[in-house]
Amino acid sequence: MEKREGHDNKYGMVIDLDKCTGCGTCMVACAAENNVTVRADESDKERSIAWMQLYKIDNGRPFPDTEVCYFPRPCMHCDEDGRGGHHSPCVSVCVATATELDPHTGIVSQIYARCIGCRYCQAACPYHARYFNWWDGYSSFKPFSKGMERSLSPEVSPRMRGVIEKCTFCHHRLMRAKTKAYAENRRDLREYEYITACTEACPARAITFGDLNNPDHMVSRLIKNKNTFRLLEKLNTQPKVYYISSKEWVRKLADNYLPDQIKPVSGNDI
Amino acid sequence: MENQRDPSGKTPGQGPLLSLINKIKALVKTIFSSSFKIGLVYFAAGLVPALIIGWLFFPALLYSKQTQPMNFNHALHMDPEIVSEIQGDTETERCLYCHSFRNDGTFTGIPEIGVCSECHKDDDFPLGESEEEELLINEYVTNKREIPWLSYSRQPDCVYFSHIAHIELGKLECTTCHGNRGKNQVLPAYEKNRISGYSRNIWGKKISGLKKDTWDSMKMDDCAACHKEKGHEENNACFTCHK
Amino acid sequence: MGSDKKKFTELLSVNRRNFIKFAIGGAVGTGLSPLPWKLIDDTAIFTQNLPWVPVPETGKFTKVRSHCTLCPGACGIEVRKVGDRAVKIEGRTDHPVNPGGLCPLGMGGLQLLYNENIRCKSPLKRVGSRSTGEFEPLSWDEALRALTHQILELRSNGKAGSIVAIDGYNSGSTVSLMIKRFMKAIGSNNYIRLPSMEGETAAVSKLMYGSDTPVAYDLENSDFILSFGCGLLEGWGAPGRLLNTWGLWRSAENRENATIYQVEPRASNTASKADKWIPARPGTETALALGIANVIIRENLYNKTYVENCTAGFFEHEAEGIKQRGFRDIIVENYNPDRVSEITGIGPDMIISTARAFAGAKTPIAICGKGKGTLNGDINEFMAVHALNALTGNINRPGGVLIGARPPLSELPAPEVDEIASESLKKPGLTLGNAVLKEYSSQTSAIAESILKGDGQEVDTLLVFSSNPAFTIPDGGDFYQSLAKIPFIVSFSPYLDETAMMADLILPDHTYLEKIDDMECPSLQYSFYGMTQPAVAPLYDTRNTGDVIIRLAEMIGGTTANSFPFKTLEEAIKSRVQGLFDCKEGSGKYNPSDTPSKFISAGTGVTPDFKDFKGMWKQLKNGGFWYNPLSHIKNNADIFNAPESKFEFMSSRLKSLIEASTAKPASDTLEEPLYMPHFRGSEKSDEGYPLMMIPYEMINLSSGWLPNPPYLNKSLFDSQLKGDDSFVEINPETALAYKLKEGDKIQVTSAKGSASVRVHLFDGAMPGVVFMPMGFGHMAYDDFSFGKGCNPNRLMGANIDPLSGQPAWWYTPVKISKAI
Repeated sequence: MEKREGHDNKYGMVIDLDKCTGCGTCMVACAAENNVTVRADESDKERSIAWMQLYKIDNGRPFPDTEVCYFPRPCMHCDEDGRGGHHSPCVSVCVATATELDPHTGIVSQIYARCIGCRYCQAACPYHARYFNWWDGYSSFKPFSKGMERSLSPEVSPRMRGVIEKCTFCHHRLMRAKTKAYAENRRDLREYEYITACTEACPARAITFGDLNNPDHMVSRLIKNKNTFRLLEKLNTQPKVYYISSKEWVRKLADNYLPDQIKPVSGNDI
Repeated sequence: MENQRDPSGKTPGQGPLLSLINKIKALVKTIFSSSFKIGLVYFAAGLVPALIIGWLFFPALLYSKQTQPMNFNHALHMDPEIVSEIQGDTETERCLYCHSFRNDGTFTGIPEIGVCSECHKDDDFPLGESEEEELLINEYVTNKREIPWLSYSRQPDCVYFSHIAHIELGKLECTTCHGNRGKNQVLPAYEKNRISGYSRNIWGKKISGLKKDTWDSMKMDDCAACHKEKGHEENNACFTCHK
Repeated sequence: MGSDKKKFTELLSVNRRNFIKFAIGGAVGTGLSPLPWKLIDDTAIFTQNLPWVPVPETGKFTKVRSHCTLCPGACGIEVRKVGDRAVKIEGRTDHPVNPGGLCPLGMGGLQLLYNENIRCKSPLKRVGSRSTGEFEPLSWDEALRALTHQILELRSNGKAGSIVAIDGYNSGSTVSLMIKRFMKAIGSNNYIRLPSMEGETAAVSKLMYGSDTPVAYDLENSDFILSFGCGLLEGWGAPGRLLNTWGLWRSAENRENATIYQVEPRASNTASKADKWIPARPGTETALALGIANVIIRENLYNKTYVENCTAGFFEHEAEGIKQRGFRDIIVENYNPDRVSEITGIGPDMIISTARAFAGAKTPIAICGKGKGTLNGDINEFMAVHALNALTGNINRPGGVLIGARPPLSELPAPEVDEIASESLKKPGLTLGNAVLKEYSSQTSAIAESILKGDGQEVDTLLVFSSNPAFTIPDGGDFYQSLAKIPFIVSFSPYLDETAMMADLILPDHTYLEKIDDMECPSLQYSFYGMTQPAVAPLYDTRNTGDVIIRLAEMIGGTTANSFPFKTLEEAIKSRVQGLFDCKEGSGKYNPSDTPSKFISAGTGVTPDFKDFKGMWKQLKNGGFWYNPLSHIKNNADIFNAPESKFEFMSSRLKSLIEASTAKPASDTLEEPLYMPHFRGSEKSDEGYPLMMIPYEMINLSSGWLPNPPYLNKSLFDSQLKGDDSFVEINPETALAYKLKEGDKIQVTSAKGSASVRVHLFDGAMPGVVFMPMGFGHMAYDDFSFGKGCNPNRLMGANIDPLSGQPAWWYTPVKISKAI
């Protein structure tokens, strides 16, 4: 079989914060799609697991000039910096090769069966996108979630205690889309054929998902918007999740506002 | 002789070759000495049972045997002269008649009862004379009950495997991984690992883990080796096969 | 021989050396066997697949189309299934209400289906004392017989009127009609719906527009929306529609951008995301609306053609021979920006600029209904807001206020009433003492009033359908207390909610994913009718309430049984649907490029696409829908059934209702007639309660009868709920005055009750106001909900809305003190 050159994808996400209403559907859709576990006390944020986490920020101005903005935060799927320098922070510290950056999709994987639960990656992640399973999630020992294991999806492995989990850009949906394409005798996916559960669920359509390497994809066009930024850009983690906000204070809080960093992120910079 | 030795252990006036011969002689003598023989017996008394336990009893203990709910004669169903519906030039095509792909590309695996009842639909006119068929029709087809088959090749939950990618794109034969299941007349007993819960077919029937045929085992190393061999090392990225 | 014997004895003597040899032999043998290596491997595999971690069974993936009935929004859903199991709920992309998206509650719906701990698994009979949750399962036959016996006995004693039903099903659903019909057939006038903005919207539609169907808003085509506290992003109306529309308004690629002004005392999601946030003092929205009207009138910004031709009561006029001042003069005199500024706390400049922006927009709409709209509204405020709409004349036009139309479903044959029933129906139903608008407002609070005050009518048997009034009524817990005094309570809830826990008998319904059901959605700018189908087979021994009602009627017999000429709910639905087919209008297909609002702006209807009734029924039964964009928008006269077919600034209907009412609400000092929108201010002195408590709703917290699905709990911030404590939002300035810091525990006390909560300092909270989230504080359900936080309903209800007689939940004076 021929080797496909130059067809490597780089999946990424653009979240329009002007459209985001902070409703939290992305979080619920993510949890339902990915068999994320629930605990009786979800308000204990050090123990609660949310691959997609909604943050609330405000402009800090007193009443009545207060403004609120919401930040949906999936895994940023950090990349290499392209200069042979550093790697995704979590991948470079994993001692068990349980997480790796797939050069063919740009997705940072997390293999539960491989993870030894040292939580080094959790400490390394600047976005707090990684979560540790302190207990078994769904199991026969959990009477409080009785019956709820019936809605578990077979496409995602339920996690056992002692492993790290995080957003996978709904990798199983990529597999689902590919399998469908193969059945239709196609090898390449159309735009939007593979989108994450949060993208699909967002009622305000604030999330766009696609291949950053494909100039025709909407994501590639959106990241050229002058209001596009990434979180903690100065760390040079090269996230594949972009945000758009027309509000300066929001962009400022994302740490993209150091004097020499006021510039739109262009496709070349990725 | 003992006295003739000097502290260095060498016999005076003799060459290195002779010294070696002497050493061997001494060793042989020790071996045939009664105390050593006795020691050997003890050694063997430890070794042999251990080998027997490890090679014979352990596998018997490790795997629980379960029989399938009913027999299925693969060979019979794969014969186009007997079952005319099952067409196809290659064996794989004939397998795919029952073990088919759904429209979304997912693999059905063990067929549901609806597939059986496509042919075995009428209890008044059975297609054959076997007791199995009678059981099939009376117990399952009529009651629309699924047969609780035990799957020999089910990978654990952490594994994602796309049949269509291997069959349609990779052009692999079913036999590459599943062996000559299609030629079986009798379903073998299902053996389940009591510790890991896996089917024995994943590790391989051979307890040694040694592999002669490609279908002897279906572990991660087997997948990876095949990917490498066929020039698809990019598919050895963890997320390709894990979920 | 001797030597052999010696050898043999040597062999037998297991000395240390030999033992070591034996052990080494064993070790080598073991090492050469697969045993250790396989064991290590298997043990490693064991730890990767712990046997108690469930392995979800895989199979064929299918999708079942249906509708979400968790709120009145009627969003289309698609339930993704593997084999028999539902694994995900997704929004339907082929649906006019929510093309694609869904709200978080709808998304988390599977946890309301599968969570065993909150479900009623079979009919239950109370064995312990009330609210302890001690029940005993019984068969459906026994349960139905018990209820039949109860009803028959009350009827034979002439007490059929003491049977009260509270109905929380979708107001247009067939099951709701069945309950209403059942109550009539057995002879009770006490069919009560829960309070919601639907009631006030219907009232204002009737009183001002003269329409029997509630008004709807063509928000999608509007370019300016002035929202009086509507939680557009908190779940108002049809949440799926609103959130989707919001994305359209805010998309950079799209020019359909609308300007949104939000009047609200708190920086809610809607207020923060709006173009302008107008934080008027809570309870003064009416004054603000009239202040805006004042500016529009004085600056001559109103639509003169419309006001002159299509409205009544604007100018000076004669009524019954007496000269009557018009709306214009009264508003100009009483609501100048300076006075309104004093009342509302909004600067005169802001009032003037808002009025100019509103009147200057092409298609401005003013909307009302606070929060999600799941509670009653202030009828005066509703009237003031709609007066604004009449001033701009943006009524009955694309992008304006539209007069809704219910789907043309066939009428069911009238219920038969026997002698006992007709005798009993002569007695009026429960009525709130001083309610003028009893026809439109929910009388749920009359139950508590009647029982607790002891001077009203008797309530002997309470039937509760698809609701949890013990938790949701904002009356300071009066209803909950009154439950204890009702001799017999029957719950039809699929869940063990607070009201069910007080019940003597539970006849559990299926959940919305297990049954056939239907709905209307009157808040849309097209008539809509949708059906649900079972996405999964019923998990437990539950029955569709529609079928249960029919069975009950059959068991009661006589005319009651005759009133139900159908065997199943499905049959009844089918006979209603016939009307949809017979009208030869409407479509069951949705194309994302042809949204209903496009049809409205184009002024064309959809092409009817139902060929035969059989096909239509099949499509609807499979979770289908029927919709028809309001096509009559060109004809004003058809719509306005008010005198001379005009919009009434001064409602003649309300006037006659007030005159007919025995308990006349006191007139106020401004010499404004009560039947026109006016601002009264608070009646009671707030002495001892210097602060105000305002409940607020969140889209990711179920505030109604349903528990919050655990997935939604994830999305709550730990400044909203931490452990078992919920937080109130307080402005840092107010907190400073009380020496409070973040996380402090305080006691919030109103005239009705007291609650212990924590403090969250939030700049977006109006100073002097305590904002308490609504939806916490369940005293039923499981570990995910029970005892978490405080229910603000337990503090509210000290004030009564003078026209509807319902609790004025939007205004609760409180005091706070640091908890020790």
